[in-house]
Amino acid sequence: MISIKKLNYFYNVKKLGKRQALADLDLNIEPNTFFTLTGPNGSGKSTLFSILSGLSLAKEGQVAINGLDIVKHQAAIRRLMGVVFQSPALDKHLTLAENFQIHGDLYGMEPSLLKQRLEEDLTWTGLGDRLSEMVGTLSGGMARRVELVKALLHRPKVLLMDEPTNGLDPGGRRDFLDMVDNLRKEREMTILMTSHIFAEAERADKVGILHKGSLLAVGSPQELKNRLGHEMVVIQTSNKEHAQFLQEQLTKKESVKVWIRDGELRVEGADKNTLDELLSHHRDRFNELAIKRPTLEDLFIHITQDKEE
Amino acid sequence: MLLGIKSMAKRELVRFFRQGHRVIGSIAQPIIFWLFLGSGFAASFQAPGLEGISYTEYFFPGILLMVVLFSGIFSTITVIEDRNQGLLQGILVAPVHRMAIVFGKVIGAMVIGLLQAFLLMLTIPFLGIDPGISGVLMLILGLVIAALGFTALGFLIAWNMESTSGFHAIMSVFLLPLWMLSGAMFPMAQAPAWLEWVMFLNPVSHALLLIRMPLYHPVTELLSSSQYIQAFIVAILWAIGCLLIALYRVNRTQQSA
Repeated sequence: MISIKKLNYFYNVKKLGKRQALADLDLNIEPNTFFTLTGPNGSGKSTLFSILSGLSLAKEGQVAINGLDIVKHQAAIRRLMGVVFQSPALDKHLTLAENFQIHGDLYGMEPSLLKQRLEEDLTWTGLGDRLSEMVGTLSGGMARRVELVKALLHRPKVLLMDEPTNGLDPGGRRDFLDMVDNLRKEREMTILMTSHIFAEAERADKVGILHKGSLLAVGSPQELKNRLGHEMVVIQTSNKEHAQFLQEQLTKKESVKVWIRDGELRVEGADKNTLDELLSHHRDRFNELAIKRPTLEDLFIHITQDKEE
Repeated sequence: MLLGIKSMAKRELVRFFRQGHRVIGSIAQPIIFWLFLGSGFAASFQAPGLEGISYTEYFFPGILLMVVLFSGIFSTITVIEDRNQGLLQGILVAPVHRMAIVFGKVIGAMVIGLLQAFLLMLTIPFLGIDPGISGVLMLILGLVIAALGFTALGFLIAWNMESTSGFHAIMSVFLLPLWMLSGAMFPMAQAPAWLEWVMFLNPVSHALLLIRMPLYHPVTELLSSSQYIQAFIVAILWAIGCLLIALYRVNRTQQSA
């Protein structure tokens, strides 16, 4: 459904010259897949999104959606796609109904078809009785739902979402992603979502991890986590000094990798001896030690550390 | 594409009428400007060949032009707001022709200015001028051409600007002098020679003639006046030029290094 071959993209930065945002990117997304592209800020996610949505033009490489070249068949591709942007693309001076009407007009939808689609979509999003309300009065979570409904009105085959949960509280994020989950069960659609939150990517069928414009890994969340081959030891310390001390001690060991994330010490490759040593010699330096399954973020750190070494 | 144009234009109008302060400001400002300046300069206004015309009357076409110019141009500021709020990207990914974006925005903003001008035209009988039905129609034609050209210019400038304050700054140093040097405030015949040239090269001067002349000359006289025909051609070319450049810029939105 989405095919990207040898895609390169450069930005012109004032006084600094060209800067590469995407480097030789190859990616193939099968039809009806929920694909999440994840990676830290500045990894190239939004650039790729901008190219796929037709807002930026890449001169090096090939991008095709549904077999259509993105440069040669722009109008046809736009009809196939629904887009949810990171920042809201709604007019807050207009009502929900007026915003939907504009979208319908821009996509050449007949008024009767628009009405029918709205009736279908507003039911499952819980927005049915709010059509006459001004967009400016909606909460952030509600506005995101409106964005999603709007993007789906013309029944796209591909849904692109750029960090759609940005700015939402954890509850709002969960609700939004639940809606996306329900959506993919009901409709045949390829979904490409970008997110810098690794935990969000775990809900996808497939995940691509992007770093400095290159794709580091692609696979199902489970496949990717299995790549680490072992579980993680997660240690919670009471202060930073203890965490740093333990990090120094553990790093001395061969095959052990340690990093600190959100105040936790995450240890990869710790064997029984290492655990024994921690418990017998350094027990006073940590509050809690647990063995957990690796996350996608663990994999990301593992790969990027390997690259840097 | 027509549906897209209509939708975009309608949106501009709905937004305008929903913002009460914009409506009041845009109607009150030209009236206050006209009445205050008209009264202030009334005693000192003595232009050769314009005996018997009060400054309020002389200034009236300039005020009409000011309304369509400033209202049209400042309404295009929504292009910058749309971009900053993320609305524009939602429009750019739609399968609508880029021409619909330009025409929709320009027509919407233009109509806002024209509606205000039409309101102001209701004062024509009180000025003691009787242009007749055909004169009023020619006046409307002049207003439409002027509004089209300068609203397209506003769109073009707004498309290339990132902040609304920058847009205001450009408009203040560029548009206001163009309007002042158009003959709207004082007759061209009284200006020094160099200024006369500036006024002649100024497209706003030609737009002004399309508004002033129908108030005093019958249609047959207008169509045989070389001055009017010249002004008409310049204003039309200006409008087409600004629209074409705006279209070119919008089509070049996708960029790559």
